[in-house]
Amino acid sequence: MASRIRFDLTRRAMLAGGLGASVLSVGQLRADTGLTVFAAASLKAALDEVASTWTGPPVALSYAGSGTLARQAALGAPVDVVLLAARDWMDWLQAQGVVASAPVSVAGNRLVFAGPSGAEPMPLTGDGIRARLGPAGRFAMGDPLSVPAGRYGQQALETLGLWSALRPQAILAENVRAALAYVARGDVPLGLVYKSDGIGSGVSEVAAIPATAHQPIVYPGAVLRGAGPDAPAFLAHVQASGEVFAHHGFGA
Amino acid sequence: MIDLPPEAWEALSLSLRVSVVATLVSLPLALWVAHLLARGRFRGRGLLDAVVHLPLVLPPVVTGYALLLLFSRGGPLGAVLEPLGLGVAFRWTGAVIAAAIMAFPLVVRAIRLAIEAVDPKLEEAAATLGASPLRIWRTVTLPMIAPGILAGVTIGFAKAFGEFGATITFVASIPGETRTLPSAIYAFLQVPGAEAPLRGLVGVAVAVAILAVLVSNWLAPRVAARIAGR
Repeated sequence: MASRIRFDLTRRAMLAGGLGASVLSVGQLRADTGLTVFAAASLKAALDEVASTWTGPPVALSYAGSGTLARQAALGAPVDVVLLAARDWMDWLQAQGVVASAPVSVAGNRLVFAGPSGAEPMPLTGDGIRARLGPAGRFAMGDPLSVPAGRYGQQALETLGLWSALRPQAILAENVRAALAYVARGDVPLGLVYKSDGIGSGVSEVAAIPATAHQPIVYPGAVLRGAGPDAPAFLAHVQASGEVFAHHGFGA
Repeated sequence: MIDLPPEAWEALSLSLRVSVVATLVSLPLALWVAHLLARGRFRGRGLLDAVVHLPLVLPPVVTGYALLLLFSRGGPLGAVLEPLGLGVAFRWTGAVIAAAIMAFPLVVRAIRLAIEAVDPKLEEAAATLGASPLRIWRTVTLPMIAPGILAGVTIGFAKAFGEFGATITFVASIPGETRTLPSAIYAFLQVPGAEAPLRGLVGVAVAVAILAVLVSNWLAPRVAARIAGR
């Protein structure tokens, strides 16, 4: 009886040890073979291009909303570098104690009103916007509560004195790309989106929002604790790829 | 009681309104479809069965996208409804449609199982005694399938209350209009440092779910007793 129990225990210990070893080896594999980068969804087109010119170990890029990425990184996701769309999420990550070095700015952006492909320019006034929307028309933007682009957008419309009048007509999307898609599909005649979003998305910029109307839009990047040795070099490579970002519409 | 931001109460009341209306709207249709599937012998029954089950097996985001294509201003239904002021895309009525469609297969399944368990001989006996089909349904069939209907309503309400993927794809997340409780939880997940409202909303969601089960468990024996008393 006793030997049977001991046998079971031994077997379990061996099993557990085996599992542990395989988990360790997976971790080892990750560190050996490449970098994992979490990046804000709006960076996708530009960052894919930036990553294609990177000559170091292979990079796995995972795109999602900044909030989702920051929470996953803080909860121990195996990630080496994060590139977020908002300062506040980077501040939050730093407060969680997972950021290894001071964040750097990798890109900037501007806001624009976008219309369907080929739409004429629109004067940035209440009358101009109302004329474009029509009597019952609505426009799409990111949700100011949860989407950085929506927060900047609300700030800008407030500065321009348009927010209180336009607010009831706003369709608030859960991310700025969804707002863009509503415009591209013709669900709404106008969307308040990033300038970079308008490039190659089947929409046309109809009015630029003055950069002074909202806080500067910056994309902070940082290396996280426990990152692979190539992580700082990759972040530097991203930082040095200003013209790729500019080509995709990212610029202060 | 619970210290929740106004957005949370707004989302809760909207979610309750959406899921109650969605359940009530889908119930009569679910009764009819369940009857067709349980008793009907007609061509295309298998097809109807498959279509009814589609929202259950498709990813919710696909259902939401299909609804958006149908009901947005360029879509076949939206092009008719929007000019009449009856548009549902990006409105709370659209959230009701999304929730009702997602809940529908579950409601139909529960009622269908109950109908299939009814012995047709009882209904035939009532018919030989001269009862009209409507009277048979009201006095014989309905009491026997009542627990099934109750189960369907409970699971349908729970599904409608928790619906997220189809809803946020179809009607976005507009406060007071389409930002239901699950959408609000998702939105607060994207706000740094919003742990307090987040926990409050999660607590409310759990409380509503437990309450729904308790109410259903309290009702079930009473419904059964009423039927036995007849």
